Amino acid sequence: MAASVTGLLKPWTPRVLLVRWSRYNPYYLEPEPRKEVYHIPETELTPEQKEERELKSVRPIKAATNSVTSSVFNDPVLSKFVNMMMKDGDKIIAKGIITQTLENMKRKQVEKYHKAPEGKKAEIECNPYTIFHHALENCKPVIGLASIQKGGKFYQVPIPLTDNRRRFLAMKWMITECRDNKHRRTLMYEKLSQELLAAFSKEGNVVKRKHELHKMAESNRAYAHYRWW
Amino acid sequence: MAASCGKTVGYFLWKFGNCCFNFNTNLLSPTPQVLSRQLCVSAVLHRKNLAAAGPEKFSEEFGKRHLTAVMSNEGCTTPAIGVNQYIYIYIAVQWGADRRPFHFLFYTGKQSYYSLMHDTFTKALAVEKHQDRLRGKDLFTQDGLLLFFHVVCVSRQYARFIQLMERLLSLPNCSVEEDFQVQPLQYDQHGVAYSTGDGRRKTATGTVLLRDTGSGSISINGTNYVHYFPVLQDRIFMLHLTAGHSHGGGHSSQAGALRLAISRAMLSFLSEGQVETMRQAGLLTPGPRIKERKKPGQEGARRKFTWKKR
Repeated sequence: MAASVTGLLKPWTPRVLLVRWSRYNPYYLEPEPRKEVYHIPETELTPEQKEERELKSVRPIKAATNSVTSSVFNDPVLSKFVNMMMKDGDKIIAKGIITQTLENMKRKQVEKYHKAPEGKKAEIECNPYTIFHHALENCKPVIGLASIQKGGKFYQVPIPLTDNRRRFLAMKWMITECRDNKHRRTLMYEKLSQELLAAFSKEGNVVKRKHELHKMAESNRAYAHYRWW
Repeated sequence: MAASCGKTVGYFLWKFGNCCFNFNTNLLSPTPQVLSRQLCVSAVLHRKNLAAAGPEKFSEEFGKRHLTAVMSNEGCTTPAIGVNQYIYIYIAVQWGADRRPFHFLFYTGKQSYYSLMHDTFTKALAVEKHQDRLRGKDLFTQDGLLLFFHVVCVSRQYARFIQLMERLLSLPNCSVEEDFQVQPLQYDQHGVAYSTGDGRRKTATGTVLLRDTGSGSISINGTNYVHYFPVLQDRIFMLHLTAGHSHGGGHSSQAGALRLAISRAMLSFLSEGQVETMRQAGLLTPGPRIKERKKPGQEGARRKFTWKKR
């Protein structure tokens, strides 16, 4: 059978290796970078928020990461997207691609705006950040599939997805689509801006993929009772 | 080794020819019921020497006689002792009738030291939970340990204990966060208030000088901050800075170190509420994340070597 790895373990290597551990004591709480939260006066807080505030005043807080700021330009979704696009820890290049994408989208939209007749001008969205958010929203699947084994066979069972999972899937599809299905000479930011604009108007390959997933889930709804959680 | 309950007497076998230290043969008067156990015997020699088949065959009288025969060179009526004879010495052992030791750390060899370490660590966890500071350093000198905990330990063991105590004392308190003192504002010759701060992140260090009414020019290590940090992400924190100095690490960790330094320098300018806001925003905690060490048997910290089937 397969060669055993236990022979490679030296006596000083601990037998029980922690895999998902953090340098912080579990006592530490997450930091809150947004400024608005601290400006809410005492009266407008719900009881849970009051409790949370009291807890935060006695517990130690983790350090905020480098990419998180309290400025108005800080966008957690965009930061996540940049991190997912990053390869080998090269955030400068990933951030550069995203900035170029946003700029490209803005240019296209502004061009469309100037060419449009008077009545249609108000409908054209020029803000690249809103386009990005709406496009991602349109790509998010509502329901997902899980492979569950029952009686020796594997069935694709429709399951509900958490918010994080949906956002992750939308971003992942977008990035893989832009990396794979493009002409050799088109640059990443061009392709990405095309896809985002298409997703904004609910066209394009990513939205198609989302619809296909929904159809699969719909067709497999007979197995929905295989889910036990 | 204060095992007051159930102190029993046992046998300890030593090869006569190889004794290199002068053993204290304290022949304690044995109790009528002697629970015996061979602690250390060479299997080869045991098999070879039929005469020393086991201490069950021998009584204390025989042992005593052999001992006196060995110690004194006078003639005695005991049978001739061969070359591979064993000497029986009585020591106090701490196991019960079922031959299981009483203390759970018996097999460490230094049960009271390790049990002290264990208790102290439990205390550390309790302190973390209740956010309390443990004082009373005079309790924990080496003599204090001897007096209060009846522990005799070597200086190296004591050093380890002190390390653990220091860790215990460095845990954060609910009222005093991270051993932090807010410095009062200092005024330079023109009457302008300024304050300094320093921060560290991941082997990068940064020191910062904040002036109250500055011209808004920011310089790091002598160069303009725009030139020093070409990446936008690193520049986000340089809002109020006047002069900064940083070395070590990479650009991102230097930015993080300077951020911490700026937050600390700003503390003397801000009110209590704002300080609390900064703390809850995570700006005052020095991040503990460092590069994870490479482990033996793996290529990196997490990456394993290529798996070969055979």
